[in-house]
Amino acid sequence: MTGGQSTATSSPTSTPTPALEVTDLRKVYPSRKGGQVVAVDGLTFQVRSGEVVGLLGPNGAGKTTAMQLALSLLDPDAGEARLFGQHPELLQVRRRVGYAPDAPLFPRKLTGLQLLALHAELLGFPRRDARQRAERFAEQVGFADPARRPAGTYSRGEAQRLGLALALLGDPDLVLLDEPTAGLDPAGVAAMRELLVSLRARGAAVLLNSHLLSEVERVCDRVLFLKEGRLLRTHEVRAGGRRVEVRLVNPAQMAGPLAQAIPEGTLEGDRFRVPVASEDAVPALVRQLVAAGAGILEVRLAGAELEQLYLQIVEGRA
Amino acid sequence: MISWPIARAAAREKLRSPGILAIGLCFAAAAALSGRAGAPREAFGGFGIAFLLVLTLALGAGLLAGELESGHAQLVLLRPITRAAWVGGRLAGAGIALAAIVVAAWLAAAGGAALRGGQTLSLSAFGVLPLAVLWGFAWLSVLAAIGAVLPGWTNSAALVLAGIAWATLRGTLPAALGHPEWAAWLAELSNYLGPQDPLQLAFRPREGLGTALYDLSWVFFAWLVAVLLFNRRELARRRA
Repeated sequence: MTGGQSTATSSPTSTPTPALEVTDLRKVYPSRKGGQVVAVDGLTFQVRSGEVVGLLGPNGAGKTTAMQLALSLLDPDAGEARLFGQHPELLQVRRRVGYAPDAPLFPRKLTGLQLLALHAELLGFPRRDARQRAERFAEQVGFADPARRPAGTYSRGEAQRLGLALALLGDPDLVLLDEPTAGLDPAGVAAMRELLVSLRARGAAVLLNSHLLSEVERVCDRVLFLKEGRLLRTHEVRAGGRRVEVRLVNPAQMAGPLAQAIPEGTLEGDRFRVPVASEDAVPALVRQLVAAGAGILEVRLAGAELEQLYLQIVEGRA
Repeated sequence: MISWPIARAAAREKLRSPGILAIGLCFAAAAALSGRAGAPREAFGGFGIAFLLVLTLALGAGLLAGELESGHAQLVLLRPITRAAWVGGRLAGAGIALAAIVVAAWLAAAGGAALRGGQTLSLSAFGVLPLAVLWGFAWLSVLAAIGAVLPGWTNSAALVLAGIAWATLRGTLPAALGHPEWAAWLAELSNYLGPQDPLQLAFRPREGLGTALYDLSWVFFAWLVAVLLFNRRELARRRA
């Protein structure tokens, strides 16, 4: 493993080679009625090392197809995908990639640990190390107990956790996760969030397809809005910062004091909205509000911004 | 050519299937009842050989298609492994399971013979083991080749149907067309339509060697065809 840094060839200007680069991808499926369905149309984007990129769009937007094209699980009708500057099918490239499909299925008779050990061996780990690694990764995704049962007995959430453990097993430099939180309980969703943050911290590139806007907003650096196979817009989540929404008990008395104390905030009805750089700024903001005399009913780290953007860009609503 | 982690996983999976274990038990029981130590044809003759055939069909059913249809093959093939090694691994895994059950049946046959005060074990009694495995493995390769294009367990069903169709044709065609001399030609042709019974090598080393080598070539060529067909199927799926 390469510790998350791309070792592939760099461009003449020494820009690091993106972990994933797709250019003008197009995929057309024949439809049942005899026509054609354009699943992906002229899609171009990159995912760099240490970056978490989210794919957002309605069902049928082409998110899963885009992932499968990137991994060469499907052949594009036009365009190309490169992983670390190389063809996705090269064996040395595959060693650096992890993929968790949506709703994965496994051989019913094998246990999760046996499947994890199998994949670890395929990645080149010796048999004994593979078994130890299998146990470690099962533990890491909160899957230690079910991993001893045959895969045929797994619930959707358990299968999802196994799929995730398989994707992370080889310490990949590029991870593609297709709806990884589907079927997970709240604890599983929180664990997933921590995993994504730790992946970014060790320099891995992550492409995430999820419908959970709040999660996408919390972990992604960049979001790509897709509809009908086309990239509508790229939104830099980190660059935009976060926003806090505070519900006040005494909004009528607070208009003046708040405008003085926190001029960047806006008061609408009983809601006071303030942009913040990160979650860490929230406690200080609350202290500032209380000091200004505000009675606070509720404080919410807004996920609504991405939701509004989504509705505006993808659904075309104002 | 063969991914051994895949082979081990496939063998484990097959040996945990209740259906295959039931067939294996019946096979061992039949071998124990009919086996006479020193007479290998009896150990794997009669009902024994029928169970070996059924076991091979069960082990080969959905050998490739099962994994492909579940989607797990896609995850495996994203690892640094070639499609040929995957096919080789699945085939070798089924072969390991076959060998394990054949050994168990042979031990049951030897045990049954010993209890009945049978003859001492001869070299040919041991020789029957690899030959029986070779025969089954050659048919497994054929099943893998058919399974590279057919869905689910239909590869075994197709082989059984083809066998019945050929037997019917052989039995009826010469008489129906008024050419009884064709019967001998069709019988000769049968010797080339799939792996042959190599157990005779255990008795007549010189005469049986050809059949054993012929079966060995079936293993190789059927595996090659399986890889080629599987490649075509995968590339077609990706383009679709």
